[in-house]
Amino acid sequence: MISGKLFERIESLRLENVTKKYGENFAVRNLNLEIKGGELLILIGKSGSGKTTVLRMMNRLIEPDSGSISINGIDIRKFDPIRLRRNTGYVIQNIGLLPHLRVSGNIGLIPKLEGWKEEKIQERIQDLLNFVSLPPQVFTDRYPHELSGGQQQRVGLARAMVMSPPLFLMDEPFGALDSLLRAQLQDEFYRIKKELGRTIVFVTHDINEAFRLGDRIAIIDNSELVQVGTPQELIFSPSSNLVAEIVDSKRKYRHIDALKVKDLAQPLDKRYILDSGLSAASVLDHMSAEGLEIALVFDSPENSGRVGLTDVMKAVSSGKSLDEALKPLPLFSPETPLLEALLRLKTGGGSIGLVLENDKPGGILFSDRILQNLV
Amino acid sequence: MILTAELLQATLEHLVLTYTALTAGILVTIPLIFLSLYSARLASMIMRFASLVQAVPSFAVVAFIVPLIGIGFMPAVLAIMLRVLLPTIKNTYIGLFNVDSTLIEASKGIGLTDFQILKHIRLPNAYPAIFAGIKFAAILANSIAVLTALIGGGGLGPIIFEGLTNFNTVKILTGVLPVIGIALFLDFSFSRIEQRLTPEYLRK
Repeated sequence: MISGKLFERIESLRLENVTKKYGENFAVRNLNLEIKGGELLILIGKSGSGKTTVLRMMNRLIEPDSGSISINGIDIRKFDPIRLRRNTGYVIQNIGLLPHLRVSGNIGLIPKLEGWKEEKIQERIQDLLNFVSLPPQVFTDRYPHELSGGQQQRVGLARAMVMSPPLFLMDEPFGALDSLLRAQLQDEFYRIKKELGRTIVFVTHDINEAFRLGDRIAIIDNSELVQVGTPQELIFSPSSNLVAEIVDSKRKYRHIDALKVKDLAQPLDKRYILDSGLSAASVLDHMSAEGLEIALVFDSPENSGRVGLTDVMKAVSSGKSLDEALKPLPLFSPETPLLEALLRLKTGGGSIGLVLENDKPGGILFSDRILQNLV
Repeated sequence: MILTAELLQATLEHLVLTYTALTAGILVTIPLIFLSLYSARLASMIMRFASLVQAVPSFAVVAFIVPLIGIGFMPAVLAIMLRVLLPTIKNTYIGLFNVDSTLIEASKGIGLTDFQILKHIRLPNAYPAIFAGIKFAAILANSIAVLTALIGGGGLGPIIFEGLTNFNTVKILTGVLPVIGIALFLDFSFSRIEQRLTPEYLRK
């Protein structure tokens, strides 16, 4: 038996000064990158940028010319490459299912070589097929050529998961699928990623896929690492024109899926926040003095509201209290997806929302400001 | 007229000669293929040698054997064996190495050793090509076995040559028809084996 677990979980995967040359050309040049345990790191770049080479060095399919790669502080050259690969889930675009083996044979190959008992292998195959949404009674005995592209990719994923590896390396796994199927598999993969909580390095050339799935994104161009950061960091502070171009910073609305309320909220301006229980007249004075068109009342999430200048004026002239003039105020957490926040603002009929941090006002979200920032 | 017993005897001899040479060819092919797997240079040398023997006319190969090891059954086996090496080696080699490179890549990636890749991927993939090669080699061996009559290999060849020198049509046919029969039998039987060994996913 070659295997046994090399590591229970990944604390860090670190590349230091990694260089790989083919002849005179650099495939990877002096690359430094640290992948944190449990994150999904995207390697993105044009074809030929070196991103796949970086990935393939992580399971020693390619050995770097210089520099080192370490997992949890141990240089991976100290590991037997076969053992390292069996502790790593590997999925590629072409999947590479063995055509002469059935789905069960493909998923069960490594466990069989590892000397697992037959019942345990079968049980694992059933579990995994269920996990990737392929009913075992239908798919266990099929040959790869009897599967659609999406089904093959699911089997590929199940095969990669069979040894419960703490690390996954994925090279454009959805690259060959049509866009509809790709979106569906991305959604499913996002769910799987959350359930597994494993460390994943994911190569793609599709920036939308990168933003959709990645916790952090490393941009590789011309064999070098250009910038690494969260989607928000890349969109709002690209380190170079190249990064701005890749993430399409000028058209941030394209990435609205990847943005959260905290990315576009304005810092809290105390003038907008009123104590509850004030009289309409004093609020009118305050708003006129500060030149506010709108004000927010916040005591607690249950006791909050927004009020416009005209509403206050009407309340004063009709002798109503401020509370009667209040309209509901949308409240958001900083982590609320931006799109959801915008939809709630829209259905609420307002253009302003309050961002709460630990139940206290922490920022304000203006729909028109969002628009200005995105376009 | 030739006695039936004599014809049977000759046919049997012919079959023994053909199968012995074929078996010898396969036995020689196996280690050569393993050597090829370990070194690309060795592989190219072996392929070149096999192609060279193939390029020399069969008759010349048969004749060439005589000054080396004389005449008789064993020299005949050797001559035939040399001729059948190319189809067996070449087809096996092509079958083993013409595997989709992404398949090899994926298999390495999931942690198969080189030997496991050979056993679980290259070999199953190569079966159809290997058996196509052996079938061709068997038919080739049968036809060259006729020629080896000239160096005392026995079999059906002597009957045919005797018929030719005496313009004896009946004798020629007496020798030729069993040879054709054997060829058809070889083709049929090896086709069946080939079919059986073809992986299910390649069958139509």
